[in-house]
Amino acid sequence: MTNSDSQLISTQQVLRQLTIVWADFESRLLQVPIIYRAMNNQLQLEDYRRLLADHYHQVKEGSGWICRAASSITEPYLEQRAVFIGHATTEHQDYKMLERCYQTVGGDINELHKQGKNIGSEALSAWMYYKASQANPFDLIGAMFIIEGLGKQFARTFAEALQHNMGISAEQLEFYTYHAEHDGDHLDELEAILSTGILTIPDIQNEIIRTAKVTARLYLLQLEELGNY
Amino acid sequence: MTDVFITGVGKCLPGEPVSNDEIGSIIGKISDRSDSLGTATLRKNGIKKRYYALTASGNYTHTNAQMAAEAIHDAFAHAKRSPDNADYLATSTTQGDYLVPGFASAVHGELGIPPLELASFQSVCASSLMAAKSAWLAVRTHEARLAVASGSEFSSRWFQPGFYQPFYNEDSRPDPELEFLRWTLSDGAGAVVFEPEPKATGISLRVDWIKQKSFADRFPPCMYAGAATNKAAKNQPWNLYNSPAEAYQAGAIALKQDFTLLYKMFPAWVGYYLELLDNYQLDPNGIDYFLPHYSAQSLGQEMKKLLIKTGAMIPEERWFSNLVHCGNTGTASIFIMLDELVKAKPLTAGQKILCFVPESGRGICSFMHLSVFDNN
Repeated sequence: MTNSDSQLISTQQVLRQLTIVWADFESRLLQVPIIYRAMNNQLQLEDYRRLLADHYHQVKEGSGWICRAASSITEPYLEQRAVFIGHATTEHQDYKMLERCYQTVGGDINELHKQGKNIGSEALSAWMYYKASQANPFDLIGAMFIIEGLGKQFARTFAEALQHNMGISAEQLEFYTYHAEHDGDHLDELEAILSTGILTIPDIQNEIIRTAKVTARLYLLQLEELGNY
Repeated sequence: MTDVFITGVGKCLPGEPVSNDEIGSIIGKISDRSDSLGTATLRKNGIKKRYYALTASGNYTHTNAQMAAEAIHDAFAHAKRSPDNADYLATSTTQGDYLVPGFASAVHGELGIPPLELASFQSVCASSLMAAKSAWLAVRTHEARLAVASGSEFSSRWFQPGFYQPFYNEDSRPDPELEFLRWTLSDGAGAVVFEPEPKATGISLRVDWIKQKSFADRFPPCMYAGAATNKAAKNQPWNLYNSPAEAYQAGAIALKQDFTLLYKMFPAWVGYYLELLDNYQLDPNGIDYFLPHYSAQSLGQEMKKLLIKTGAMIPEERWFSNLVHCGNTGTASIFIMLDELVKAKPLTAGQKILCFVPESGRGICSFMHLSVFDNN
């Protein structure tokens, strides 16, 4: 077996394990009250506003922890570090989009700025920064697989349900529809890193999967704890 | 525990094949608009021929139990065994002819064979492999020596306009939840015989494993009948109305499919498939025939891409299905596919066959892995 063959197999194995974690996560997501109610036409506009508000910190911090992760990456992985930096730049302005959505659904921007994290977001944020501070934290690819995957796989269904059930306008849904359209490309870039030799780092494959699992659980917690500060 | 072999396969496809433009004469007409939705559905599901136990004149040629019995007789003939020696019968169907008693009793009655042990499985497509697993285990644990499992459906009776009126008629907006099933499902039965030894001559299939998982903890009913909707607030079961007539009027009797939910089940199914590949260390390229109760065409580009990048895609030329010319017969389909595979394909010893039966009912996913044995 050549090096590139075994690299391909390792990449496929990691993606396979990540997809298994994803599948469990996505179907558990459907049971979280806010999502369940959205899908079953039981949501009011104020619930959607609450969701945006509670999502805000995670979105604002996204490029923050990716930058910190980039700063924890050392030689010989500087090329991969560039992908992290690029990714952080792409995500950097996302919070502004969310702010616009929040205002179009009648939210007060000053209130949003004052709003603290819910207890689930607090846990998720602490976990992401903790991980990003470790040396060469490529296991965060597992976390990104979950978070970007949400955008790619789930944001569209969710936005469609809100539009269909509550008549929420395209403008009010911009944040979610934008992610539905673009997160697939981000995910492809992240997956490409898996084939650049990082999988030879000892135990990294298991760590990627574990980080994906923990991130998935904490993401659910963030949604379960809407309004609990 | 002993090895177990499928030694006989059989089927019953009632009447003559019905082409796409003849379907209306059997399932009846609701409105022109519902017919156009039907044409669109047929383009999507790709089915060209199917069979119905109902006739154009409104009679029926078989009951569900009679179709099952015919398929079972066919399978015993193929196994070169007398059905009188059978000691275990597991049946599967979405809905038997009677509400009470169990369907296996009806099939046993039709078979006209001596007393034996029964198991009735009622679910949707995946009930086929529930029945197969129970028959397989019965032989594997020496509880039985000659077991048979059947899958049979009489779907067309659900699709008569009279089953929907008055809540759905010529004035209604055509409803994809109803029309998809009307133009996709048809009638038929299949059966397989299990024994602890391979056939003395010819092809047998060793059953290596049968695995199944339910995701009903996270999905509400998706393909359902017996409630007017699958939404939690209004999903009162039909038998809790004041009368069956009231349930019927409320639309609680019709068979429906929730599409939005269906697409949400795909990741759970794919996840389970990947889990099994890992657990059994299966190489997708080592599968010679993949029998999906599902078409590659409906899989969609996204899913295909996902399977390729996780190294899990079974090459499409190894996919074997006869849904196009036998129709989608629910729980019978996988057995009808196996019947054609065994009788029409030049199987050779050592080949591996993977059967895949997902069920949208409430999210079940099942697989059966077989190895070809040849005693020629």
